Amino acid sequence: MFGSHCVKCHGEGGKVKGKVNLLEIKNSATLSKNIDLLQGLIDVINNGDMPPEGEPELKPIDRKRVVSELRGILNDVVTKGRLIPKTPIRRMNRFQYNNAVKDLFELNVEVFSLPEKMMRSYGYFDPASGKIPDTVHVGSRPLGKSQMIEPRLAGVGPFPQDLRAEHGFDNQGDHLSLSPIQMEDFYKLSQSIVNSDTFTAKHCGIWDEFFAEPQEEGRELDQVIHQRLSKFLRSAFRRPVTSELVERYVKNVQYRIAKGESFTRSMKDIASVVLCSPRFLYLYDRPIKGVDDDFNLASRLSFFLWGSIPDEELLRLAESKTLSQKEVLTAQVKRMLGDKRLKRFCDSFPSQWLQLERIITSTPDRIMFPTFYANAYRASMHMMLEPLLLFETILIENRPVYELIDSNFSYRSGPLSNWYKNGKRTGGLPPTRLAYKRELLTSRREGGVITNAAVMTMTSNPTRSQPITRGAWMLTVIFNNPPEPPPADVPPLPEIIKGKRNETFTLRERLVAHRDRPDCAGCHLKIDPLGFALENYGPVGAWRDSYENGRKIDSSGKLFRKHDFSSIEEFKDAILAEKPRFVKAFSGHMLSFALGRKLTAADLPALEIIADEAEKKDYRFQPLLKSIILSEPFLNEPK
Amino acid sequence: MNRNDISVINRRTFLKGAAGSTLSLPWLESIAKGVNSVKPPLRLAVYYVPIGVVRRSFFPGESQTEVPKFQGFLGGRRDQPDIYKSGYQPIEWTPTLEPLKKIQQHVTLITGLDRVYQNGTDVHAQCGSCFLSSAIPYEIKSSAWPLNRTLDHVVADYVGDDTPFRTLEFSCNSHKDNVESIHFDNISWYGTGHVAPSMRDPQKVYRRLFGTRDVENFRNITDLVLEDAHSLQRELGTEDRHKFNEYFDSIRTIEEQMENMARMKSGLLKASIKEPVAAYLPRGEYIRLMGDLMIVALQTGLTRVATMMIGPERWNTPYMFEGVFDKPRSHHQMSHNQAKFVDDLAKVDRFYMEQFAYLVEKMSGIKEANGATLLDNIVFTYGSGLGDGASHQYNKLPIIMAGSGGGKLRAGGKHLNMPTGTPLANLWLTQAQVMGLKRRRFADSTGSLDQILV
Repeated sequence: MFGSHCVKCHGEGGKVKGKVNLLEIKNSATLSKNIDLLQGLIDVINNGDMPPEGEPELKPIDRKRVVSELRGILNDVVTKGRLIPKTPIRRMNRFQYNNAVKDLFELNVEVFSLPEKMMRSYGYFDPASGKIPDTVHVGSRPLGKSQMIEPRLAGVGPFPQDLRAEHGFDNQGDHLSLSPIQMEDFYKLSQSIVNSDTFTAKHCGIWDEFFAEPQEEGRELDQVIHQRLSKFLRSAFRRPVTSELVERYVKNVQYRIAKGESFTRSMKDIASVVLCSPRFLYLYDRPIKGVDDDFNLASRLSFFLWGSIPDEELLRLAESKTLSQKEVLTAQVKRMLGDKRLKRFCDSFPSQWLQLERIITSTPDRIMFPTFYANAYRASMHMMLEPLLLFETILIENRPVYELIDSNFSYRSGPLSNWYKNGKRTGGLPPTRLAYKRELLTSRREGGVITNAAVMTMTSNPTRSQPITRGAWMLTVIFNNPPEPPPADVPPLPEIIKGKRNETFTLRERLVAHRDRPDCAGCHLKIDPLGFALENYGPVGAWRDSYENGRKIDSSGKLFRKHDFSSIEEFKDAILAEKPRFVKAFSGHMLSFALGRKLTAADLPALEIIADEAEKKDYRFQPLLKSIILSEPFLNEPK
Repeated sequence: MNRNDISVINRRTFLKGAAGSTLSLPWLESIAKGVNSVKPPLRLAVYYVPIGVVRRSFFPGESQTEVPKFQGFLGGRRDQPDIYKSGYQPIEWTPTLEPLKKIQQHVTLITGLDRVYQNGTDVHAQCGSCFLSSAIPYEIKSSAWPLNRTLDHVVADYVGDDTPFRTLEFSCNSHKDNVESIHFDNISWYGTGHVAPSMRDPQKVYRRLFGTRDVENFRNITDLVLEDAHSLQRELGTEDRHKFNEYFDSIRTIEEQMENMARMKSGLLKASIKEPVAAYLPRGEYIRLMGDLMIVALQTGLTRVATMMIGPERWNTPYMFEGVFDKPRSHHQMSHNQAKFVDDLAKVDRFYMEQFAYLVEKMSGIKEANGATLLDNIVFTYGSGLGDGASHQYNKLPIIMAGSGGGKLRAGGKHLNMPTGTPLANLWLTQAQVMGLKRRRFADSTGSLDQILV
């Protein structure tokens, strides 16, 4: 088949028109050695990207046969070779550090404020109830007035934010290294935490059992120190600690007390040392030696769903080596999904998945969109919370994840609701605490994460929508298939000039005229239909039927060269017709977040299984999370 | 009472033991190198006043203007006619400027400088946190603040490597209630989202500046954590082991830096500065003590760059201003009702100006190795991020410069008026150039403020 359909461009006569030379592949053994190429072949054939338009089509039955054959080879390679990569050792990012310190000391305040948390929530989050209330009170952290002000430790400043990896997350292992400057930050930070004026019994839950002067009669002080430190070190290091290790810490405390320091002072000092230990600061998997992997698993679970260290129950189950048993693990996942610490997952994954940080610096043109800036607060402050609340609701209420594409409800503030109605913000509310109400949507133009005002605004430039940017966002975020970055020599799209011919063009016509280079067409055939499908949404997300020059908007296209659509409703239907593909993509994002690394071809068989399982459960969110956790890459053990 | 009951030092003890003897302290480098005639280097300091000023009593010629009403969302600008002629003119003494009169030959009043407000964050939080950054609005991606590396750190990147502290950040915010975010309480930033935390407690400042226990403390820690690191490394796979070396490298680097600093400080200890004891201090004495500590640090070469925030932005909690009012007052709350509090607010402004005058005068009395004074070798700026506390305007900011910048700055005693709309960053750029930086832009600058140069 390669011979008849592919090598004309990919290798014949030593010529490689495309990027791939298929003549180098002699047999399945060569393919087995190059699993990325193997996966690439599966993708382009399965997705119908190859052969390209204008070349003879593959018969559907041939396509299917080739794909299943290639998948078989991939599966063999992965299972036989144990090629699932390991996440490198990495320090905590600052979101994890804040949560870990908070949980370790059982603080009822934050350690420091985090602008990367996009939403400030006021008490509504109760996952055990299985329901998000119809009215919730929230605020926008990066844009809202006073959102950073919250109960926190006095005088403790954060270290710099760890940025999201390109097409990845801020917890990606290969991005999280330690420099001397950062180590100095950690050193000073650990001291400023325990020395904070508000680090007291009132705010620290373990005060009595750890920092307070011991009251027990008849017990040797050394024994007390030993017992307190054993427990604390085990929590902080997330593993059993050897008696030698505990003894070293005990001796240090004894030395401090002998020098005349008070008990509490000495315990504070030792606690700050613990926060500097690599066994606290670093996340790592001990190479599997059979006995220890349940502790790896406990940490992987807690950092995935809670962004923090495992609690006592997880550690206990790891110690009894039962955590990895399927029933026990399933029960724990259920427990963790009902725990309020799940908010940390909602505070870190969805905003990064949707790349929502881009809305923070979206600045639509002030003259064209004056109401965007009304009342000194940008409309984006209201917009950015909408997709996040939708995500939370689908998760907590265990709804099908394809509602992320098409939902019949949404949470909106009053001004945001008006914004959708008429592109104006009226009904100003105090910006600190915004009431978002659940609205039933009557039009399928609204709902889901794709067509909301936040995404439409952040994928536009100040004066116009950007279909290519939107298409690239769709491919990256929704289909987890990021396009190659554009070549460096692409000239900018010429702006409309009055009196010139392009004045009467639609944006689509301008772009077509702009990129008639054949080497651009390959990628743009993939990107453009996804962006033009959204052309009815203007640069600040408002619906429009025509451009300013009066030309009607044409949002028609074909999804994956398979599904024709001529409206946004039909576009959503087309995506819904590809549910497995969306769910696989979405699960891939979550698995990558869970593992703290980029996925490779070796992870893909697991994603197939996850997507198959999801279909059986009507794609509901919580079973999907469970399958991710029960997947081979997450469990990190051969079946 | 929950006001400024900070655990502080007895100032008199400090002055007797410390400031008295520091007058003869030489620049640290000369101790280190064992020479006496090293030319003292240039230094930079900033004195930040929160919540703007009352214009009528600060700015010459505005005494008869209308008392401004509270305006929360002005978008940063309030249009007022330019009442001065352009360029240099004599200073017309107003009630708030009055305390400077006795040191007038050392100060220049600069009017007409502006900053641009970026929509979307609190006006007080932005005016303080972005004062020394003044980044171009919306230029800083991933942040709603026009906040970039601030002037002090940009300058320290150039001059800070040879001193034990690259920069020092002082704050006279002694509030214990933690009601406001870091953006209200910090003017010094390493970069967006990365605050350079300031020191508020004089005793802690003293220990940080002159203590040599850092190394000992750090060794106490490294002994333990390095052992953890060694045992952890044995448990790791090969690739992780390789990456994990970063931890050992980091610990080693910090230890070396601390040893260097201790070596440099050990020279200072011979100057027998006594550690102040903790005691409550009235607000004026507290500010002056923090200022004394800043001056000692600048004088002895512990650092060449320091910032001092005289109080936090917005914070509604009242302070006791001893000698000014007999009850605790909230600067911010008063600022929103100038019609009622305009006279009291003017007293607060004047009170802060008196402290600035004290510091300038003190610098002018400190002789340095080349026969000049500390004030001759410094660029010292008084300023606020608001042109008025009621209107919340970012234009027509109150700025005063002191010091001769090593002879590079024009003599004081004058009032310099700049054309409306001159960016404050032009001043920062020029100060950076005076400090020796070869840059042609800083933040939203449009050029340098050559008028202040000799």
